[in-house]
Amino acid sequence: MSEFTIRSDSADVEQIMKQIRARIREKRGVDYTEEEIRELANVKLEQFLDPRGVRSDLLAQYRQRREASTAPRNYAFEDTTLYASSRPILRFFRRLLNPILKLFFNPNPLIEALHIQSKLNDSYNQAESLYYELIHNLVLETTRLGIEVKNLKMRVESMSSRLDFDERRARALEGVVQYRPGAVAPLQPPTGGAANGQSLDQEGAERRARRRRRRGRRRPGPGGEGDRLASAEESSERHAASHERSEPPRRAEIDSHSDAAPGRSGPSES
Amino acid sequence: MKLAVVVQRYGADVNGGAELHARYVTERLSRHAGVEVLTTCARDYVTWRNELPPGVETVNGVPVRRFPVRREREPLDFGRRSRQVFERTHSIADELAWLESEGPASPALIDHLARHGDAYDYVILFSYRYYHAWHAARRLAGKAVLVPTAERDPAVGLAIFGPVFRGVRAIMYNSHEERAMIHAAADNAAVPGIVVGVGSNVPERTDPVRFRRRYRIHRPFAIYIGRVDENKGCTELFDYFQRYAATFPRGLDLVVVGKAVMPIPKHPRIHHLGFLEDEDKFNALAAADLLIMPSYFESLSMVALEAWALGRPVLANGRCDVLKGQCIRSNAGLYYGTYQEFAETLYSLESNGPLHARLGRNGREYFRRNYAWPVIERKYLEMLGRLTRENAASRVEPLGGWLERRRRTLPAAAEVLARIPSGPVLDGQRGEPTPAYVRRGRHA
Repeated sequence: MSEFTIRSDSADVEQIMKQIRARIREKRGVDYTEEEIRELANVKLEQFLDPRGVRSDLLAQYRQRREASTAPRNYAFEDTTLYASSRPILRFFRRLLNPILKLFFNPNPLIEALHIQSKLNDSYNQAESLYYELIHNLVLETTRLGIEVKNLKMRVESMSSRLDFDERRARALEGVVQYRPGAVAPLQPPTGGAANGQSLDQEGAERRARRRRRRGRRRPGPGGEGDRLASAEESSERHAASHERSEPPRRAEIDSHSDAAPGRSGPSES
Repeated sequence: MKLAVVVQRYGADVNGGAELHARYVTERLSRHAGVEVLTTCARDYVTWRNELPPGVETVNGVPVRRFPVRREREPLDFGRRSRQVFERTHSIADELAWLESEGPASPALIDHLARHGDAYDYVILFSYRYYHAWHAARRLAGKAVLVPTAERDPAVGLAIFGPVFRGVRAIMYNSHEERAMIHAAADNAAVPGIVVGVGSNVPERTDPVRFRRRYRIHRPFAIYIGRVDENKGCTELFDYFQRYAATFPRGLDLVVVGKAVMPIPKHPRIHHLGFLEDEDKFNALAAADLLIMPSYFESLSMVALEAWALGRPVLANGRCDVLKGQCIRSNAGLYYGTYQEFAETLYSLESNGPLHARLGRNGREYFRRNYAWPVIERKYLEMLGRLTRENAASRVEPLGGWLERRRRTLPAAAEVLARIPSGPVLDGQRGEPTPAYVRRGRHA
């Protein structure tokens, strides 16, 4: 992470902050400006999609409110409702005078509409609790997903810092590796033109011959050099894995190892 | 020379920022002049309830004269009036009603000053935004030396404070940012002023081992000292730290010192120790790797100065102009604005030994150069000496007539504040600091 050096006689905080920000930009690609971040923060999702804005006991609260509510649930509306009365005589006269009423207006479409509305209200009441249950389940699921996303985000951050650390560790190790005399030198990028082609061919032929000789020595059976080399490789892998760590190296470690690891990307006081 | 120090609360057990500042300055000035403290009987800064007896008592060798507060603060009324003056177009009368509602309204204290003002050469007024400072500055403008302790909050945009900032004899600022903000708000550059701040009673020796043993903290840690409050940026701090802890499972712990007024997340690497006595506090600071200051608004962070005095670097919230400015001027702290910056800067301070050591040394040097007691005392005495020599008359502008005071034409204080440039004031190579403002959006 911290790839800057400070001189022993000074430390310029502004300069350090610039370097830190440059590193952040490098990691994250194009950065948002402060205004853009503010703008993004101001855009809120719909309230019902924000799990923090919805009560987890939504369904219970809804049922409770429904039970406590004094508002009429629904009404029944039949073809007799308009003429209904507790007094039979009154009911009789209303029916009797119905034809006269029809001279003024036709009550039948009204009766029919109110009847349909009553049926619709019933079906809506039945579906309503299902909708709320559905919303409730969606909210729970969204919350669960939100938590999972947060956890995954943290894991990604953790992995990324581990990777960062490993890369730097690898660079540091590369810097201190000593090649044995006579061992195969690491491949170098080609530098010359056609003149070097012949010598490269010769070198390649020598390498191939060496490889053949080595293969010949490995063949005799278990316990040979080939196996030893393979087990050494395995052991070095295990060693590297056991050293894999996700926390920042302590200052004391850095200070004491700063000379031993010239390729280390950490700071050094000069 | 006879001085009166006027402050809202005073006592050995009163630990508010401005109040502690006032006590430290009083005790130091009492070595050079006769000092009397005029304060209220209140101990609680929320209610201003009269808890201490009126009359004269001695606190650490300094006479303290207490006056009763006329009435306790009513939070609902104060909240309503604050919204009125901070967010809406309002009148001078509204602002005066806000001032009265904020308190601590102690007319007895003001009457005493008016009657016995001649007995003092200068009156040092702490915290511009309170009743006592505003009324005392108007009554004794020619003797008033104001220590504003102003943060970047909308109160600074209220119209009633402009004449006070322009009318007092001198102003002792806490930071360059505070001075720039008040100059911009009140256009008072002509008033003699100096950036002083305050020292701290940092012990010569600390015992970090004792602290670790006593509180069983064995791992390296960063520390936060102060009220654990959302307004102090603690919610953001806990959020950022938990994310950092998930990224670096064996990184620094966080030790939190101070009274909690918000829930602290239960986390194996966050240790809340509650309020600590000074000795333990300094031992804790000495044991810490660094101090984190997550606050958005500070007039002067005494705890940051204490950390620097003990050679500990500070990681500050970059949205606080004062803290950011101090980090840059001292080269003794880093700052953050986002989680990424928080993680990178904390990691740098944690893992980069030479950087940590250099910032620590810079901090010690910065404190020694600017905030050691001899420096603070000298600045106060030089300013008082200058005022005596100049002997200029000073007067606070009148408020206007009955009708004018009730005319609702003043803009919302938050709007006024938003127009005031913000950002750290950066030091030039030599001489006076040069303002390097960064215009930002509304900063309520």
